[in-house]
Amino acid sequence: MSRSLTGPSAEPRELLFRALDEHGDRLYAFALRMTRDPDLAADAVQEAFAAALRKFDTFRGESNIATWLHRIVYTKAVDLIRQRGKETSLPEADDGGLGPEDDRLARTPAWARPPDEILWSSQTREALQAAIKELTPLQRAVFTLREMDGMPTDEVASVLGLEPGTVRVHLHRARLRLRALLAEHFKGRVPT
Amino acid sequence: MKCDCDGLVRRLTELHDGALGEGDCAAIERHLEECADCGALHRDFQDLARLCRESDRPRMPLAVRRRIEQALK
Repeated sequence: MSRSLTGPSAEPRELLFRALDEHGDRLYAFALRMTRDPDLAADAVQEAFAAALRKFDTFRGESNIATWLHRIVYTKAVDLIRQRGKETSLPEADDGGLGPEDDRLARTPAWARPPDEILWSSQTREALQAAIKELTPLQRAVFTLREMDGMPTDEVASVLGLEPGTVRVHLHRARLRLRALLAEHFKGRVPT
Repeated sequence: MKCDCDGLVRRLTELHDGALGEGDCAAIERHLEECADCGALHRDFQDLARLCRESDRPRMPLAVRRRIEQALK
């Protein structure tokens, strides 16, 4: 549904309606990948829009409205994950710099080059979705926003309240883990 | 992969992200051409990025959208 705006003084409801039209799917996809549960994702997005309407006066245009809404969805998703005890690790458990475990993952064998029909198959895309669920919540958030949604690193940093360098650390770690998890998927599918 | 590759591999994501200066980029790209293990890791990262770009994004269910619209009215 498209709605026209009257200009910079457009009412918060109108701005949020437009944000729902323009960014609703992205926000829902982000919430779903964070929570791994359609009901929780729906709750996170609904609560985020309700909170955005209540505290619209705190949105000062320092970031764009999509970044602001992603930040609220992220906070809601983590709150719901915490309440439902659906994760064994929470964002604060992720430490900063790259370490020996990351180096070990980098030394795991490269993917056996699968033929294109296997590499780009729907089964591989499903395996990727399953592998993303194995990441920590913070890694999932960083990877989803940067790699799947194409959000610039500075904006991801703003959504998650991190420094851009820290975003890159978690992104690197997520890539290493996904590469290792997908290597398992390719095992036995590559003709010898 | 040799242990002295670790430092370069840790910078691969910075390379992908355009966060490195020209000199660093050139040094890492030269290494990726010369080191088979690091080159393979780099290709895996590139394939992973392409898989992500080609993955379908879940869409917000209509019922959820309607509930949000109601809440915004």
